[in-house]
Amino acid sequence: MNRNYIYLTLLMLILAIGTLMINKTKEPNQIEPKQLLFELIQPTRYVSTDQVAKMIIQNDPSLELIDVRNIKEFEAFSLPKAINVPLDSLISKNSLLNFGIQGTKVVFVSNDDIASDQAWILTKRLGYKSTYVMKGGLNLWMETIINPKQPEETESAAAFATYAFRQGAQLYFTGAKTEDSGAPKAKVEVQRKKKSGGASGGC
Amino acid sequence: MGPLIPNGIITGNWDFVVAILLGIAFGFILEASGFSSSRNITGVFYGYNFVVLRVFFTAVIVAMVGILYFDYFGWLDLTKIFILPTYLTPMIVGGVIMGVGFILGGFCPGTSFAAIAIGKLDALFFTIGLYLGIYLFSISFPLFANFYDSGNMGNVTFTDVTGISASWFAFAFTAIALAAFWGTAVIEKRIRKNITEYKF
Repeated sequence: MNRNYIYLTLLMLILAIGTLMINKTKEPNQIEPKQLLFELIQPTRYVSTDQVAKMIIQNDPSLELIDVRNIKEFEAFSLPKAINVPLDSLISKNSLLNFGIQGTKVVFVSNDDIASDQAWILTKRLGYKSTYVMKGGLNLWMETIINPKQPEETESAAAFATYAFRQGAQLYFTGAKTEDSGAPKAKVEVQRKKKSGGASGGC
Repeated sequence: MGPLIPNGIITGNWDFVVAILLGIAFGFILEASGFSSSRNITGVFYGYNFVVLRVFFTAVIVAMVGILYFDYFGWLDLTKIFILPTYLTPMIVGGVIMGVGFILGGFCPGTSFAAIAIGKLDALFFTIGLYLGIYLFSISFPLFANFYDSGNMGNVTFTDVTGISASWFAFAFTAIALAAFWGTAVIEKRIRKNITEYKF
């Protein structure tokens, strides 16, 4: 018998045994730290409560509100159409399907913006794009949208325009509607990301 | 790093370039291993020539162990590679049909083209039959479309189904394959004593 066969057999056997030694603690793929730091300091990663309110009112289909508080808090109060993904179960396979859907903007919401910031960093490190944090969280939401303050007389016209919008938004969200447009509310169905198939082939 | 296209290292437009290069390599290996001869191929069923078993097992164990190492070194992300969906019963039936065709015709689809490339007439007739079969299958597809799509288990791997880790499976498979190499060598030696050697 050819000696090379014996060597090759041994080599293959050693390589196969080697696979058993391979340490399989899988680390998730992460983006470069530099990239993360760069994106971290971009003010554009925040959206204001006004912007969120506007998107909800306009039924913006690209908006995907992710509420990272726990279920109890979520059930007590949540923004319309928000999806509850508690922070402690954020990095599970099922939850992660909510992110990275083409054409959607994920906006993290929590009571303040600390928990949502954490969620933003976690998902950003995993490489998900177009994720945002609602600046100030639900506390600021209450302050600005539900109980908007009238601006001082000396303030700019823009401040008054914002106030006018907030008053309208307040009516929209608190249900004290002066007139019913009669239009049925569009229901947003969350489309989960499909696993991409590749080419199939065979012998 | 890999897979190259899903990771955006090269664009999807390279699909066909890669396919052609792989096809050339595949055809070359088939021809170089003697797969363009139907006697070589069907020999595995009669016990006088196990080159099919050896070549395919070699390919499988090298690829299997190699992929595990590639994943370990970070060259290939195993979570991103495409896994063919499993339809258990249709696949078993398909396998049996393919096996019967294999013995009867002496070629599998890939090898028949390798054989045509070197001008074998039997392979030419085989491929004519192959295209007829594809045509008949296409027009009669509605008859067994239900069966064709039945029992979809999704894009599962052996590890997903049984829970046996990939490296243990690779090790066991490698051990079995290597044992088969040596075992078949013994069988071949014995049988070839009593058989007229063909020059392929």
